[in-house]
Amino acid sequence: MRSQTRLPAAVAALLGLSALHPSPAGAQDVERGREVYEQWCSQCHGSEGDGQGPAAEYMIPRPRDFTTGLYQIRSTATGELPTDEDILRIINEGMPGTTMPGWEEELSGADREALVAYIKTFSQFFETLGAPEPLEFPGAPGASEERIAEGRLFYDSIQCFECHGAEGRGDGEASSTLQDDLGNPIRSADLWKAWTFNGGSTVEDIYQRLRTGLDGTPMPNFSDLIDAGFMTDDQLWNLAHYVRSLSPEETPTPEEVIVVGQVAPGELPGQLADERWGQAESFYVPLVGQIIENPRWFDPSVDGVWVQALHDGSEVAFRLTWHDRSRSPDPGWLEWQGWVLDAMAPREGENLEPAPRPDGITVQFPPTIPEGMDMPYFLMGDGSNPVYQWQWSSVPGTAVKAAARGLDIYEPLGAEGLTSEAAWEAGRWQLLLRRALVPADPASELQFEIGVPIPIAFFAWDGDNSEEGARGSVSSWYFIQLEEETPPSTYMAPLVAFLFTGGLGVLVVRRAQRRDREVQAAAAGIVLPPEPRPQMARNFGFAVGALWLLFALAAAGNSVGGWAAGQTDVGFWWAVITGFLTIAASVALIGTARHRYQGPRKS
Amino acid sequence: MGRYTKHPFWQSLAVVVVSYALIRWGIAYLPGLVGITSAPVPASVVLQYTAIVLVGVLVWVSDNEERWTRFKEPIHAALVEPDKKVVRMSMMAVVPLLVAFATFNNVRPTISAPASLRSIHPAPPTQITFRGETIVLEGLENPLREPDLEEAAFELGKELYYQNCMPCHGDYLNAGGHYAPGFNPTPLELRGSSTIAQLTESFVFWRIAKGGPGLPREGGPWNSAMPVWEDFLTADEIWAVTLFLYDQAGIAPRTWEEEGIEE
Ligand code: HEC
Ligand code: HEC
Repeated sequence: MRSQTRLPAAVAALLGLSALHPSPAGAQDVERGREVYEQWCSQCHGSEGDGQGPAAEYMIPRPRDFTTGLYQIRSTATGELPTDEDILRIINEGMPGTTMPGWEEELSGADREALVAYIKTFSQFFETLGAPEPLEFPGAPGASEERIAEGRLFYDSIQCFECHGAEGRGDGEASSTLQDDLGNPIRSADLWKAWTFNGGSTVEDIYQRLRTGLDGTPMPNFSDLIDAGFMTDDQLWNLAHYVRSLSPEETPTPEEVIVVGQVAPGELPGQLADERWGQAESFYVPLVGQIIENPRWFDPSVDGVWVQALHDGSEVAFRLTWHDRSRSPDPGWLEWQGWVLDAMAPREGENLEPAPRPDGITVQFPPTIPEGMDMPYFLMGDGSNPVYQWQWSSVPGTAVKAAARGLDIYEPLGAEGLTSEAAWEAGRWQLLLRRALVPADPASELQFEIGVPIPIAFFAWDGDNSEEGARGSVSSWYFIQLEEETPPSTYMAPLVAFLFTGGLGVLVVRRAQRRDREVQAAAAGIVLPPEPRPQMARNFGFAVGALWLLFALAAAGNSVGGWAAGQTDVGFWWAVITGFLTIAASVALIGTARHRYQGPRKS
Repeated sequence: MGRYTKHPFWQSLAVVVVSYALIRWGIAYLPGLVGITSAPVPASVVLQYTAIVLVGVLVWVSDNEERWTRFKEPIHAALVEPDKKVVRMSMMAVVPLLVAFATFNNVRPTISAPASLRSIHPAPPTQITFRGETIVLEGLENPLREPDLEEAAFELGKELYYQNCMPCHGDYLNAGGHYAPGFNPTPLELRGSSTIAQLTESFVFWRIAKGGPGLPREGGPWNSAMPVWEDFLTADEIWAVTLFLYDQAGIAPRTWEEEGIEE
């Protein structure tokens, strides 16, 4: 039966027409929808559709309560119901930045449409109000510098910054006061992370959110500004372009190895504001809530850190950048802390109170570079395998070293040799950490080595989000690798390979040609005289000489490098080798040049 | 045209080139056709298989004296014939250049993480200590897989799964949880035929109870984010989640009888 009603929809979908009205839901659809919902949705959204499933308390934002008929992501005006396509789109794609997953790959098209039909039965409004009309929008104008600049003006004049902050990192004045319609704390979106936008990251998505608002959240809609003639539709598009321009084109994906670029000795940036950081490559490391050891934390605030790193052969410097809506401890966020703790903490059996807590970040390394992958436990080590850490906290604002043997079990190692500088501005922390490759105390501290992968991991806390101790965000192990100068041997090896293969080729061709001539001569009854080859012998002699000379040059390079790096023994022995090679090269070259050919040897 | 298609040298060349293409791209294309996710064929495998083809071709051409002579013709011609000078010279330039380039690629310093030799299903111990009690894993079946207990266990397991495991292993048991991208190695996919479908329930019980830190060395206990669930859940709760995993994913666990047959 169902296949009959589905067929036209499938055809329409194939033709790209599915945005038109799908066939009305039958009772069978609803029944099938109930089955699928019970199996895959009820644990979050609740069997009654009230958003009170058994898993609901483990997440912020909470699952949608379908009984209210209030939907965030719509193509319809504020306060209206969503269209079936709106609901289907969310089921297909999920809501980035929340726990709501996408189901396009997982469930069949029929099942997803059945879900739409079933979800709508939770609210009587869908029946009483009838099918909503989507708003019609003109297509997006292309982005340009001018549009983005004008968008920025509107960003300021219509006060997006109240909530989203001066630079758009979600740190506005009002951001500590925001709750959704259910009374749960809600963060204003970080506009630098379009990949976390609930309704999608394209300019069209953003524009549609600005036109229709996010119902159930404090995020208003701006259609009325257009209706009131305060701004034109085109200007709203410019604003959408501005918002989109804050985020990278592509969602950043973590690299397993963070490259620590090499700079000339003494050229290492010593300050956060140093322009040279602009040239250093930036690596994104995602962070997630610490939900591995008690007490777990399901509402982390810091969800990633950008890492830049440079070394100059004797010191290494890191610049870490992460977004944080406040400079903790900020008394303005105490109320927010209370809301977050009410929403998230009781489950872990803790009774926590809002309190002034600092922000912090810890960088972890193994105490020594491990053989292969044999590392300490990524969650701050354990009793038998400690990690070596740099712990920074916004109070007092400097970094110290420590050895940790488990969450919160650590032994301070002082701050000697570790320089740090931190600054919070417009929703963003930046932290500079710098230390010599060779540590103050090699027994307990990591010695950085050039050219080998060294494990690194991060742990971050937002104090105003009530985070401290185990309640924070973590990463697993990544690696850093200090870039090394390309050693001269790197160029020697291919050269030798080239000469060798080329020489071999010449020999093969010559031999083949000579044999060919012999065969032909034999056929004609002529006996060829043995070929004297004075020129070839000469060339060979010169080639050998040149090769020795190249080796000598490479050795000299190594020697100079050794002296420069202060490794006198290396420098000395390479100098000796250079001497020998030079002698060998001169003998070969001079000998060949002076040698005169005296006709074939008598045998 | 026929001069080329019937000539053993060009035939051999075609066989080697086509086989290489098939091994390199063709094999990886196949699983996709039946809906299984595919992966690129490792370089070492491509090398091995191509080498086998090459040896086979050489055996074939050298097996027959006349064919062998004909096979060598083009090579010989390229080496000596005066009108093939351009071919000869360009080969002599290109081949050493390629070799030099390959050498350079091999010796230049590269940035890469150390190879992980992590074993995904390390051998389980025969018995474990669970919250102070000894549990013998060998021969142990899920005690909740009884007609009168199963339904309640499934419901309990479902609740526990979505409260505790979902952030990593995902709503769909496909390792697609919203925290999954934060961990390396990424959480294990639980559905499909390649993970828990291969295991007995007692193995799964052990892995849940002891988590990453309880792995033997070859399992890489230092970076598995899997928590030690005995710190959070009782034995019955872990059995309930285990039962739920299989039932929700629609797969059956291996039983100890099957294991026995295999041995
Ligand atoms: C892991 C928990 C979880 C599961 C499982 C889940 N959802 Fe959601 N869902 C959420 C959360 C959380 C939100 C609200 C996010 C927000 O408010 O930003 C949501 C929102 C929604 C919305 C509202 C979108 C809007 O515009 O407001 C729909 C529709 C929805 N889910 C449908 C489903 C369906 C259908 C399923 C099952 C196939 C499902 N969800 C499974 C967590 C979940
Ligand atoms: C009263 C506070 C407030 C104001 C003013 C405000 N926003 Fe928001 N905005 C929010 C909140 C809260 C969210 C997060 C909603 C959520 O996570 O569900 C949000 C979300 C967003 C998003 C992400 C949408 C998505 O798909 O998740 C964008 C883009 C955005 N706002 C842009 C703007 C722009 C541009 C302005 C100014 C024209 C603006 N906002 C004004 C509070 C505000």
